[in-house]
Amino acid sequence: MSLKPTIGIETHIELNTNTKMFCRCAVVDTDEPNISLCPTCIGLPGALPVPNKKAIEFITLLALSTGCEITSKGMFHRKNYFYPDLPKNYQISQFDLPVGLNGELEIVIGENNDYIQIERVHMEEDTGKSSHSGSGRIESATSTALDFNRSGVPLVEIVTKPVISSSKQAVAYIEELRQLSIDLNISEGRLEKGNLRFDANISVAPEDSTELGTKVEIKNMNSLRSLERAIDYEIQRQSKALEGGVEIVQETRHWDENKEITSTMRSKEGSADYRYFSDPDLPNMFLSDEFIKEVETLMPLLPKVQREELMTTGLSLSQSNILSKSDDWIKKLYVKVFDQTKDSVSSYNWITGELQGQMRKANIDVLPKWFNDNYLSEIIELIKSNKISFTSAKIILNEILTTETTPSKVAEQKNLFQENDSEKISEMINQIIKENQDIVDRIKSGEDKLVGFLVGQLMKQSNGSVNPGMAKELLLKELEG
Amino acid sequence: MDASNLSIREINSLFTKKELKPSELYSKVFENAANSEAALHAHLTLFEEENIKKAADSDKRFSNGESASLLDGIPIAIKDNINIKNYKTTCSSKMLSNYTSPYDATVIEKLKEQNTLFTGKTNLDEFAMGSSTENSAFGLTKNPWNTDYVPGGSSGGSAASVGARSSIAALGSDTGGSIRQPASFCGLVGFKPTYGTVSRFGLVAFASSLDQIGPITKTVDDSRIIFSSISGEDSRDATSVINNQLDIPSDNSATIGVIKELMEDGISDEAKNEVNKVVEILKSKGYKVKEISIPIIKLSISIYYLIAPAECSANLARFDGVRYGLRVDGNTSYEMMENTRAEGFGAEVKRRILLGTYALSAGYYDEYYGKALQARKEMIDEFAKTFKDVDYLISPTTPTQAFKSGEKTSNPLEMYMSDLCTIPANLAGLPAISIPTGLSKDELPLGVQVMSKPLSDNSLLDFSEIIENEVQFDGQPKGWL
Repeated sequence: MSLKPTIGIETHIELNTNTKMFCRCAVVDTDEPNISLCPTCIGLPGALPVPNKKAIEFITLLALSTGCEITSKGMFHRKNYFYPDLPKNYQISQFDLPVGLNGELEIVIGENNDYIQIERVHMEEDTGKSSHSGSGRIESATSTALDFNRSGVPLVEIVTKPVISSSKQAVAYIEELRQLSIDLNISEGRLEKGNLRFDANISVAPEDSTELGTKVEIKNMNSLRSLERAIDYEIQRQSKALEGGVEIVQETRHWDENKEITSTMRSKEGSADYRYFSDPDLPNMFLSDEFIKEVETLMPLLPKVQREELMTTGLSLSQSNILSKSDDWIKKLYVKVFDQTKDSVSSYNWITGELQGQMRKANIDVLPKWFNDNYLSEIIELIKSNKISFTSAKIILNEILTTETTPSKVAEQKNLFQENDSEKISEMINQIIKENQDIVDRIKSGEDKLVGFLVGQLMKQSNGSVNPGMAKELLLKELEG
Repeated sequence: MDASNLSIREINSLFTKKELKPSELYSKVFENAANSEAALHAHLTLFEEENIKKAADSDKRFSNGESASLLDGIPIAIKDNINIKNYKTTCSSKMLSNYTSPYDATVIEKLKEQNTLFTGKTNLDEFAMGSSTENSAFGLTKNPWNTDYVPGGSSGGSAASVGARSSIAALGSDTGGSIRQPASFCGLVGFKPTYGTVSRFGLVAFASSLDQIGPITKTVDDSRIIFSSISGEDSRDATSVINNQLDIPSDNSATIGVIKELMEDGISDEAKNEVNKVVEILKSKGYKVKEISIPIIKLSISIYYLIAPAECSANLARFDGVRYGLRVDGNTSYEMMENTRAEGFGAEVKRRILLGTYALSAGYYDEYYGKALQARKEMIDEFAKTFKDVDYLISPTTPTQAFKSGEKTSNPLEMYMSDLCTIPANLAGLPAISIPTGLSKDELPLGVQVMSKPLSDNSLLDFSEIIENEVQFDGQPKGWL
């Protein structure tokens, strides 16, 4: 039996607004618990929610950027469930009238692209954080400490249709969504901080089946590694079960990072009835055409468009994709260097390869202030015009990353400019030949590989300043002649 | 002359003329409280001590001619579901018996700006759920006219206090008649303003789309003064509206509608007679009066008892023992929450939470809550249509005079019926007022209710004052001064 998996992903992105979704408490990034609270975000009796306009702007921006239809008359709903870190014991969310519906997001894997259909984009408020002692789960904890700093922080939830077919696609989708949220400047996009958290719905069905299999939800992952492994594990688990004639149970499972397995959290019978109803404390969310136009003016160049533009410079899709997911300064530097050199491959290689590699080694996150945008172009031009060797170029780059200087100064000081004058090189060659007559004789009698020895001698005597290509060429001519 | 019998404007005039000091009035009001509280139990807590300095400050302002506020030095009683900073807000529930609010409700902030004095917090049906103030965890309140009878509810403590003159006026909250019905039972004016004109921030929510704070006073003018002090758009309440008042005629160019459905079976002859009496007076003054049919009014109780419990089931979810209020321990967090709610809530509150939870549950939403929303919308439309024909609608406030304590406690449905006439104004967000007009043969007060279109509160008050002046009801409970 040939089986195919189907995956849908729900992602929560924490928005980087200054204040919370329904009160004006600051959104804080700290381990000190319970320092940014007010009656509203800890659910004191009588406190009321007032929506954060900036957050709605951000969510609308994300919905527009994924090509969603905007619900002009949206609504806030209450999602009812009891949990100690949910102060009101309901979460303000959106139900049948979310901000955005029916969008799509382009993903890239290698040299291929694909589109992931988005079902909806909606607002949600975050909960507080629980720390259970005695056990990681609330059911068996001996005590639970609560921190409400995160309570009420605005989230946007993006739900895909069940259209993802592999863990690779899932990872590419999250990578794309993460980059999009960074480019839209609506989130820090830091996975390790839980800025993006995802749930995956996974089912497996026979290849030729038109219906989806029974779905299993894996909750609350926040790394690409977990996502990839959890999906692969779950596909395998379900496939094995089906092949063995065992029925899949609809349930929510938990990905165990350490054991690298999924395990049952709750079955469908135990699943909550959230009793959604429109929040009477909040009037309809009316997104006027004017508001939407205003939001559209905030739209940056989307990653997809960035890739298209990069490809017109001559880069491949995968190269463009890597650049589109790089830090902003890298993208900008590429454009500059390409503009100056018109050499996409060299520009790309120098930036994504040597420059970033050396920065990692030197432990620098940002380019030093003196590092002029032209420096890389200069280095590339020097190589192309044979003025320096590739090895010298690396030395130069290393120097300008750590010392306030320029490429040509370094080349000069370190004597890295190549000798390109064939007369001068020939003079040197004649000298070498005189001094190494025995070697020359051996070459002439067939020991070809000793040519390299002579070139090495030449480089040594010239302190590496001779263009090695020219040197070899001239030497061979001399030996033949 | 007893100053505690006077209207706010009369008192202020005496203060201004230095014929009476705020501290003298304050002493008188607390003397009345000393005489009445043991028998009536209007207040849960009296703020006697802390007011001495505030009253002295008022004395100074008036003696220096520095007071600019009609409410300066006026002792007002506050229903104990409205937060006053650093005082307990119990909502007459065991759940909040130890809860002290860290913040002021907007209405309290506004009254403090006017240098109002607060006599204390008044008794209510637990979380404002009830029509007799018998559902209080701290003992019932009696009707100052006859202690065998209930004062009405849920703002029964506020009404009993104004009736017994242990305050000059009081704030109540009205979700289905909780201001108007007790005002009527106690021979007072009770005014529920247009939904949204008075901020709900700091009012412990029962049913958010219906709750509205308003005054219980001896005269219409007192209600006007308090309404103008506490109303206004509030950035902390998203449902609050800009108080742009519509001007509709209050003189005899106005047309009055008598609601047919509220003059039929289920309404006592005595209650009907009061309406007829007022109608005759209005006709004699040249007003045009006609009978108006709004058939959907008959569904009011059914609609209300789906919407209000549904909202309350979520609003009261926050009382879980986790962050504040009562906590009853258990072996797990969930057990602790369950034990706390089992012990903290009274029977009526539990009944409504269960009703509401049921009405919102998967599979029942459409049949119950969804239908109720639809019917509510129809009712709003019906009222809008009606107000094209008439300017004011008149009806009894309550189907009968006050009933005896214990008479309806075992029959919730019968208790619910006592709000038949008042509920429509909450469902449609209309301003509505109860004006005392006469006494029953049992020597208990009766009143009529007048409603008008949203945001015509000031005109409604003007028109009500005309009725007040014509009817000349000057009854007053005896034995408390």
